[in-house]
Amino acid sequence: MILSVSYYRNPDVYDIRWLLAALDVSVFLSFYAVIGRRVGHFLVSMKLALTLLFVLAILSVIGTILPQGENVLDSGWVNNPLYDFYRHLGLFEMYHSRWYLAILLLLTFNLVVCVYHRLPTAVKHVLRPRVDVKDIFVSSQPLSATIEGNGEQALGVAREVLSSHHYRILQGETGSVLAEKGRFSGIFSLAFHLSFLIIGLGAIIISFTGFDQRLQIPDGTTAAVKGTDLTVTNHGFTLSTEPVYEGDRIVGYRPSRYASDLEVFENGESVARKTIEVNDPLRYKGVNFHQASYYRTSRGYVTVLSVNKAPGKSLVYIGFVAAMAGIVFGLYFPHRRIWLKVYEKGRLLMGGRTNRAKVTFQRDFDRAVAEVRMRLGQEASADGSTR
Amino acid sequence: MEALVRTEEILFIAAVISYLVCSGLFIWYLISRNQAAGRLGMVLLVMGWLAHTAALALRWQTSGHAPMANLYASLSLFGWGIVLFFLITDRFYPVKVAGAMVVPVAFIITSVAGVFYEGPQELMPALQSYWLWIHVTIAMLSYGLFALAFGAGFIYIIQEYLLKKQYQNVILGFVFLFVALGLVIGLWLGSWWAEPARVADELGRVDKIYAGEDILKMVIGSIIGLAVGLILGYAAGKGAARPSFSKRLPSLDVLDEVSYRAVAFGFPMLTIGIITGSIWADQAWGSWWSWDPKETWSLITWLYYGAYLHTRLTMGWRGRHSALLAVIGLVVVLFTYLGVNLLLPGLHSYTPT
Repeated sequence: MILSVSYYRNPDVYDIRWLLAALDVSVFLSFYAVIGRRVGHFLVSMKLALTLLFVLAILSVIGTILPQGENVLDSGWVNNPLYDFYRHLGLFEMYHSRWYLAILLLLTFNLVVCVYHRLPTAVKHVLRPRVDVKDIFVSSQPLSATIEGNGEQALGVAREVLSSHHYRILQGETGSVLAEKGRFSGIFSLAFHLSFLIIGLGAIIISFTGFDQRLQIPDGTTAAVKGTDLTVTNHGFTLSTEPVYEGDRIVGYRPSRYASDLEVFENGESVARKTIEVNDPLRYKGVNFHQASYYRTSRGYVTVLSVNKAPGKSLVYIGFVAAMAGIVFGLYFPHRRIWLKVYEKGRLLMGGRTNRAKVTFQRDFDRAVAEVRMRLGQEASADGSTR
Repeated sequence: MEALVRTEEILFIAAVISYLVCSGLFIWYLISRNQAAGRLGMVLLVMGWLAHTAALALRWQTSGHAPMANLYASLSLFGWGIVLFFLITDRFYPVKVAGAMVVPVAFIITSVAGVFYEGPQELMPALQSYWLWIHVTIAMLSYGLFALAFGAGFIYIIQEYLLKKQYQNVILGFVFLFVALGLVIGLWLGSWWAEPARVADELGRVDKIYAGEDILKMVIGSIIGLAVGLILGYAAGKGAARPSFSKRLPSLDVLDEVSYRAVAFGFPMLTIGIITGSIWADQAWGSWWSWDPKETWSLITWLYYGAYLHTRLTMGWRGRHSALLAVIGLVVVLFTYLGVNLLLPGLHSYTPT
């Protein structure tokens, strides 16, 4: 066991981890293709997605308990006899470990396949809703009701009632009617899932075309931003503090505000100057100068800047908007459909289904049926006709 | 200034006392159906809530920012929100009975807030942004909805046992809930009693250093909490474990739906909370995501409730399974909200407590 794990070690070279993780995923998939006949079925299955979400959560929990990155060097773990073994497992670089990345990739794969399988139905719900249906289809819906009496008259009343309940009414060619709400629900749900691909794509573009560097600039000195023609001068760091009390006793001081007066030069020419704070960076031609941190030396303060350029940022923001809109509209406005059809003997059949919140829909459905009966002058029967 | 801070303290204490008295009145109302107790409880609750509102407004005034900067303010605001939510719901639905559960929860949260009382102070630089109240409000709203899902899920399980006449399991359920609550509150009180040494680093992040003696105090606190929880849980379970009690509770279908809908509203809130936090982090420090424990735990919570929704919507889970998931979910939520800040010292947490 230990032997096989040490063979499957976590590489120290950061860049090849993604490659190795991709390798793991393809090995997994081909392995499954060989032994499993119904490959597609498992890969689309929610079971795989759920397992992956669960494993991801467990790995993340471990990552918050164990010291990560450089922190491990200051901890007692270094003296543990199994330290090397754990390190090879990637336990101290959890979120960049081969396991973690492989699971993320597999989850992405699962997500793409799932979305691909569900897209046609979701599009069809919007573009070509199923209006023309048979009697048996209506009466076999999860919720159904039969309204006795004059079928055509009942149909007219039911249309009015559902229309007043904000349903969209569609007339079919063979006499059946569809009343529906929230037909975009499926599309929004898919948009939510796809938004992760967009965010991931944005992150990949940023990691290839952008940069993120830390510059440590003592007061009055200048540093160059690598990969650009820019240099940045720190004209001075200012710090204000306030005391930390424990009861009435001052136990220390903490900063309430810190700022650096920066000037940016392009090819030696001054192009921008601003005093930056933590929530207020300097931006010039897509390059952002953030006040990330500071520290003190014997000679004075050193400003720590986070200088980054992220050209794919707008893509990430699009992904964020898609995620928020998708989840809000997908979950808050479920797709509800009620079919109406006049049965041969002159009764009206009503059949309804929804994709979420079944009890709430049942209440709405029952209310609509009762209202139709009331308008037709019938007593609303408490149960029996709805199930 | 000093007078305003004193006034705030007095108003806050008045609110906590009124919540305590109201808890008693509402529990009495649930058991006896005494209308006068219900009405009196409602009037007192409104008065307590107004005092609470004034206390929060004063804190806003004296500190110069929304009351979200430390654990005291954030918990106090949370309790305030729960009472407000209950008062609004009461205007539209006949749910006064639920006060027997909601008001004690609000009382516990506000009194724990009192334990972590801190005077008004300036915000640490990273928090000085308009994103603070957007991000915190949305996150707290999602926590509140997950707590509601927990409540409905818990009552679902109790109701199911009552209907099956498995009274021992009803008692067990209550004992479990109260012991868990007692443990958590005991641990909090213990860590407050222990007064670990605090060190502020140059960036204003405060670390706690726990000595052996401090840990002993926390263990003692937990044991006392456990014992009190055991006694109270047994008493409550004994009281509830009778056939007539199930008629006072909503039906299984309604409880299942309430629990699901709370998650269905809470999950989008959590998603928006994480995204706004990410945007804020990018504006403040220039990085979206840095695998900070708070971030990671919010991701874990998100994965958890994402899994919950998938089990329901695509695998058709209903009833007890879903209820159980909603109940366990609150453990994850509580750890994200409080556990990360209190129990993972040494790693940087946003709110110096």
